[in-house]
Amino acid sequence: MSVLTEDLDVAAYAVAVRRSLVGLSQEQVDDLTDDLEADLADALADERRASHGRGLVEQFGTPEAYADELRAAAGLPTAGRPASRWERLFPDPVEQSQRVGRRMLAWLRRQAWWPSTESFLVALRPVWWVLRAWLVLQVATALVLGPQRMGLRVGELAEWVVLGGLVVASVQWGRGAWFQSRSTRWVPVLTNIVAVVAILPVLATMSSRAAQAEDVYRAWASGAFNGGTQTVYEDRPVDGVVVDGIQVSNLFVYDAQGNPLQDVQVYDDRGRPVRTTFDNGYDQFWFPESTEPWSFVPAADADGRSRWNVYPLRGAPTTQFEHDDDGAPVLQAGVSASTPPWPFAKAPALAGRGVAPLAPADGTVSASGEPSAGSVPTPTGAQPGSTSAPTP
Amino acid sequence: MDTTQLLKGVLDLAVLAVVADEDGYGYDVVRRLRNAGIEEVGDASVYGTLRRLYSSGALTSYVVPSDEGPHRKYYGINAQGRAMLEAQRKDWQEFAGTMARLLGTETVR
Repeated sequence: MSVLTEDLDVAAYAVAVRRSLVGLSQEQVDDLTDDLEADLADALADERRASHGRGLVEQFGTPEAYADELRAAAGLPTAGRPASRWERLFPDPVEQSQRVGRRMLAWLRRQAWWPSTESFLVALRPVWWVLRAWLVLQVATALVLGPQRMGLRVGELAEWVVLGGLVVASVQWGRGAWFQSRSTRWVPVLTNIVAVVAILPVLATMSSRAAQAEDVYRAWASGAFNGGTQTVYEDRPVDGVVVDGIQVSNLFVYDAQGNPLQDVQVYDDRGRPVRTTFDNGYDQFWFPESTEPWSFVPAADADGRSRWNVYPLRGAPTTQFEHDDDGAPVLQAGVSASTPPWPFAKAPALAGRGVAPLAPADGTVSASGEPSAGSVPTPTGAQPGSTSAPTP
Repeated sequence: MDTTQLLKGVLDLAVLAVVADEDGYGYDVVRRLRNAGIEEVGDASVYGTLRRLYSSGALTSYVVPSDEGPHRKYYGINAQGRAMLEAQRKDWQEFAGTMARLLGTETVR
């Protein structure tokens, strides 16, 4: 080490020692540290000293420890300095929490059952060191990349590297090796607090993520993604149209000859519009043999209101939608809504039917559905709760 | 055996003895203590002890100016310090004798 560096080290060390002598008058500090630099320099230069060649802190301890030893030997009381007004109003949170912690620990130690618990917990400390590093990683991921990226599995190499660095830092702080000086002490304390606070939210996210993963797995296992069906159990009656236990997203209407009908308005027995979708166009739907999901658009009635009971619902692949100023989904310019693929081009023709649909003259329907004057053909619309699909 | 605890009790005596032998400045006293075989006392403890003995009137202090290098503060012993040294030396010898009897060993007189 060059002489100049040594001088700088000694000067810095002496400054730190003086700064640690809090609560003493300037005169007292001067008395104690008048020859400090010279003595330190002499000690470093003394070749017959057992610890010759080692660093300042190694030989003399930290400046704070040196200052404490100095004032203790000099018979001066150690730092129980009178708090300035600022410190009374805003006590150092680190020291406050440490004091609370010490009091709690003292109380706990007076309990009979505590010592064995404490030794067990102390043995688990390294586990906490690793766990808090993982927690900090999850919090950082949630803040930087978004909560969707949090996960139990540490995926990519970058994640492993960051996690490794955090674990090392956490363990080193736990062992008392890093972050010891006053200026950096707040870093691990703050991250420790963050880690403790984050335990519940992170675990909650993990469990809900696991539940989601399980749902997706179950859906995949039952083939829902490949055109199969998945059974979902509900407690409440489902609004919408359910066929064979499966909720449907669209209705396809054919006339008596089996020709497809467009723009059929469907109402139930109470005159309420029968809807299959309730998302007002925001949601997306997969149906059998579709390669991409679709979203639907409503029909408009004469008053300009949206009508969702006009079948078959028209729409377009969700990718062809964009959002207008209100956030509502609208078709992109140049795209017009079209009818999703029909299940079949023509349904089997009916026997004994085929009369052009009449207006409900007297509102009666004969049970057998025989065409008679003034009768209404049996409604082919859907009713909530039961529908029979035309058998192919 | 860790002699740090033992030393705390008798550091005053050791420092007084060193300074009584010859006046010295801070690190000089430390060096002489180490040469005498007291390895485990920290430098800061010695300096603090010197300061305390001075405050209690057992030591005098004076600054020696120097052309190259810093001025050093030297400590010397005065009458009060010598009295304290004698008293503590007697106490120590009595105590050492007691311990020797207790432990069943002979001390070197």
